[in-house]
Order: sequence, then C-alpha cells, then structure tokens
Amino acid sequence: MQKDCEFLKEKAKQLRSDVAKMTTKARIGHVTSSYSCTELMVALYYGGILRYRIEEPDWKGRDYFILSKGHANPILYSILMDLGFIEKEEKDRFCTSEGALGVLLRGDLPGTEITSGSLGCGLGIAAGIAQALKIDGKENAIVCMLGDAECREGAIWEAAMHIGYTKLDNIVVIVDRNNLGATHFVEEEAGIGDVAEKFSTFGFDTVTINGHDFEDIFNAIGDIRHHTRKKPLAIIANTKKGKGVSFIEDQVFMHGVAIPEEKLEDALREIREGEVL
Amino acid sequence: MGKTMRDTFWDSIYDMAKTNRDIVIVSADFGAPSLDKFRRDFPEQYINVGISEQNAVLVATGLALAGKKPIVYAITQFITLRCFEQIRIYPCGMNLPITILGVGAGISYWESGATHHCMEQLSIMRTLPNLKIINCSDEAMAQNAASCVVNMNAPKFIQLDREIILSMKGENIDFDKGFRMIVNGDNQLVIATGIMNRELLDIRKDNDYKFSLMDLYTIPVDKVAFKEVIAKFSSVITVEENTKQGGMGSYIMELLSEFDIQIPVKQIALETANGYEPSYNYGGRENIREAYGMGKQRIKNVIEKMYERQEKSI
Repeated sequence: MQKDCEFLKEKAKQLRSDVAKMTTKARIGHVTSSYSCTELMVALYYGGILRYRIEEPDWKGRDYFILSKGHANPILYSILMDLGFIEKEEKDRFCTSEGALGVLLRGDLPGTEITSGSLGCGLGIAAGIAQALKIDGKENAIVCMLGDAECREGAIWEAAMHIGYTKLDNIVVIVDRNNLGATHFVEEEAGIGDVAEKFSTFGFDTVTINGHDFEDIFNAIGDIRHHTRKKPLAIIANTKKGKGVSFIEDQVFMHGVAIPEEKLEDALREIREGEVL
Repeated sequence: MGKTMRDTFWDSIYDMAKTNRDIVIVSADFGAPSLDKFRRDFPEQYINVGISEQNAVLVATGLALAGKKPIVYAITQFITLRCFEQIRIYPCGMNLPITILGVGAGISYWESGATHHCMEQLSIMRTLPNLKIINCSDEAMAQNAASCVVNMNAPKFIQLDREIILSMKGENIDFDKGFRMIVNGDNQLVIATGIMNRELLDIRKDNDYKFSLMDLYTIPVDKVAFKEVIAKFSSVITVEENTKQGGMGSYIMELLSEFDIQIPVKQIALETANGYEPSYNYGGRENIREAYGMGKQRIKNVIEKMYERQEKSI
C-alpha cells in the first residue's frame, strides 16, 4: 500500500492546481466541493486503497468508487485524467462543445461508475453493488462519498437503514463533513446534527477523522478488503470547503463558482506553498 | 380457473432462476404466494428493501451495474411516481437492464381510493427515454413478459393488472412489435390497452358490433409495422384505463401525426380534470370508470357515433 504521505501531499497540491486551472478557464465548476475531499480522494486513488486497472476500466476485480456528491466532480475528473483513464487534453475542453467533461459527473466515461449530480442517490446504488458482489462471492470493496448537506436527502437514510440492517460490510461510506451547503452553513440552517451517531444507530461502525490528514484517513479505512468488521463503516471526515485557498475557504457563496482569472495566480501560489493541515 | 398475471409472471421467473443467478428481485415490501417459493429456494436473489421505493430503484441500479438483471417490485403507483427521478436518471438515463414491475394497473385497487389508483402511469412513464412499457392484457402475456427480464437488454416497465384476465385469442405476442389484433372485423378500429381489451371484447360480443380490436401492449410500438396496419382503417377509438392527458390515446395521435395519416380519432380514458373524487366510489371498478367518464354506456355511445358518422359520409 502506497502510504508515502509526502508524495500524497504533493499529489493533492498538483490536483488542486489542476482543478483550479480547469475550472477558471471554463469560468465554472465546483472548486470548493472538490477541495474539501481532495485528500480523501487522493488517499483512495493514490494511497493503494482502491484497486483499479487504467487500461481496463471495467475490470471485474475493481473496487467501486461511488461519488454521490457529484458536484465534487472536478477533482474526480482531474484524478482520472492524471491517472490516464481520460485523456489529459480534456481539461482544456472542460465545459465546451468539443469536450466530454462537464460540471457534473457522467457515468459513461472510463473510470466512472455512475451519473451523479442529483443528490441522495449514491448510497442506495452502493448497496445494490454490494449485494451483487455478495451474491457472486466476490470481495471487491465499495466506497461511497456523500456530502454532509446531501444527508438531508431522505433516500440516503432509506439506503443507510438497508445497508445497516443487511450488514453490508463491504461498504465504506465517507461523509465529507465540510459543514457548507450551497447557501448555508449546515449546522446553522438545515443541520444534520451528530451524523456519526445517526449512522451508528443505523447499524454502521463509525469513526470521525480529520479529512485532510492522510494518516487519519488510512487509519480509519484500514485494509478495505481484509478487515474484521461485521458492519459497514461510516467515516465522518471533518473538512473545510475550499480547503487550500484562503479566500475561497468556508465561503458561503463559492459553491459551484470557479476562481476568477485575476485571482488564479494567488490561488496557485497558496496551493503550492500551503501546508495542508 | 385462471391465474393472476402476477402468478403467471412469477412462475416463469422461478423457472428461469433455476439456471440464472443474475435474476434478483428487489421488493419494496410487496409479495405474492407465487413468490414464496422463489424466496425459499433462491434467498440470496431476493432482497426486500422495505417500504422505500427510491431505495428499491437505486439498489436495483447497483445490482445492474454489477451485472445483475434486477426486477423492482411493488404496487405500480408507488414504484413509478415516488421514485420517478431515480428511474429517469439511472435505469433510463444509464440505459440499464432493470425491470420495474408494478401490480395494480389502472384502477385495479378499486376499493382503495386514489392513492392506489394508477391513472397517470402510461402518460408519465412514456416520457422516459430507452424505456419499454409493457402493459399486460392477459395472463399469457404476463407469463411471456417474464422473459423480457433477461432477454431485453434495456430498462422496462411492466404493468400487471390485479384481476384474473384469461388469455385472449389473438395474434402472437411480440414485445418488439408491441401490438396484436385480437379480432379482425370491419374497417373501424378500436385500440385498447390492458384490461380494456377484455372489456371491449365483451362490449363487442354483447352488442354484436363488428369493429376490429387491437391490443396495444408495448410503448413504443414498432412504428413501421404499426403504420402498415393503421393505414387500413377509416377511424380509430382508443380505450385505456389511464388519464386522457398523455396516455395511449395521445400516443396514437402523435403517431398518426407523424405518419401524416388523417383519420378521425376518439379517445376514451379517465377524465381526471376535476380531481380524484370518482376514485372514492367504492362500488367496484366499472362504477369508478363510469364516474370518470369511461363506463360501458359511454364506450357504446362513442362506438355508435363512429358508425353513424361513417354512414353519413358514405
């Protein structure tokens, strides 16, 4: 397992820069939603957690990553381009008629599993994949990433109840707890309260971590396939929306907004020089 | 004594499941005696998600993405409208081989009131891309429709009636073609869907009418085949236990417009513009149809007017 944290930190910086450049050029895209889960995604894809084959995206032995919070799409696309699932030139065509990539996730691109953007759908899909794998006696893992504001969707809790009751221990749910929806701080309006307790009540093992700390992330996930859990796992990852660039961090009206062109250099400098944590 | 559509469907699925591990049933707390042996013999392939239709469609989506051929099963009303967006994005948007199976077409649940009456399903579901709608008209069709679960590599919505409807004689069932002639009569055509085929057969017999009767059971139909047949008739009446807005009758008019075929069309359907009050008439299915403007007498009136008009034009 790749756990060279210095490498991962550098990778996170590179990917944040990729996201900034791509979205600023297009003048649109969910930058802040991408930055809150950057370390989580880097750990999954570069830290040896998820198994995948770049040359064979539909490989049956792959682990499934379900991005339920489809708005964090720029970071996933940037990773898929960096790894070679999608050709790198697509970043220059982001949100143009010549390109394949738009603001929200489509499920028919190499390395993606589902169309996403309408919130509240990913966890139920993860449950179905998990059950299919159980029927076939396979040990592939499923990781599903939710946004915390997304947890106001009822379908999330329909799925959570089902996953907990069915003891689908091949599922790891990560809640990107950035405490910021599109228009409000989650716990100031339309809060979700103690989300760890909620998942626990629904039959999950839970752990709360700093979602920008690689060691925390690896410790929480452990060995995703060979574990002793009897239950599904929910990781509540405390994060900051817009993490890494001071002037978009924790800003209410930055949801879905690209960094303005005149501020791009400042942002890239902060990403380059900034110490994550 | 016949079998319900539900039982013939599940009996077929049970036989297929003996050799096919990919058939997985996702039930939203809905069963059937005929399903019990499936649950007993293939427990891993039966998932009850409880009363959570959105989750049922999403779980089926996950199953399909991992290679299964899931059947999502509940009362029609709930497994279409409550989870319409999920059906739109996943089975339809991603074109996945998922079967949405609903029991209780039209006003099958006549004693239950409007919450259980499936009056908008054909109208709403036919707006979705990639989706094949199969509205079963008798027990044999329900039995045959089971094969689509595995053989039709696309999303489909299969609607079953709750009543026992014995197999009608007619042309072979072909879900790609989507329609069959139940009776070849004169050049006046009545197109019915679902249980209304049986009703129209009875009306035809009791009144000694000579119209031709077509069962339209798949939407969309094979347009080329349909155009060829419809061109032979001088007028059309459509009959469906579905709202007038957007239903099978509307579909026929869209086709005729597309084909540039100009013949008179009369639409008989549930008239819901004034609300659901008729659904709370607990006197039986025919009473409710009548209250919604499509009772037997109204159907006869429309048929007779069609003949009168034809006589005048000769």
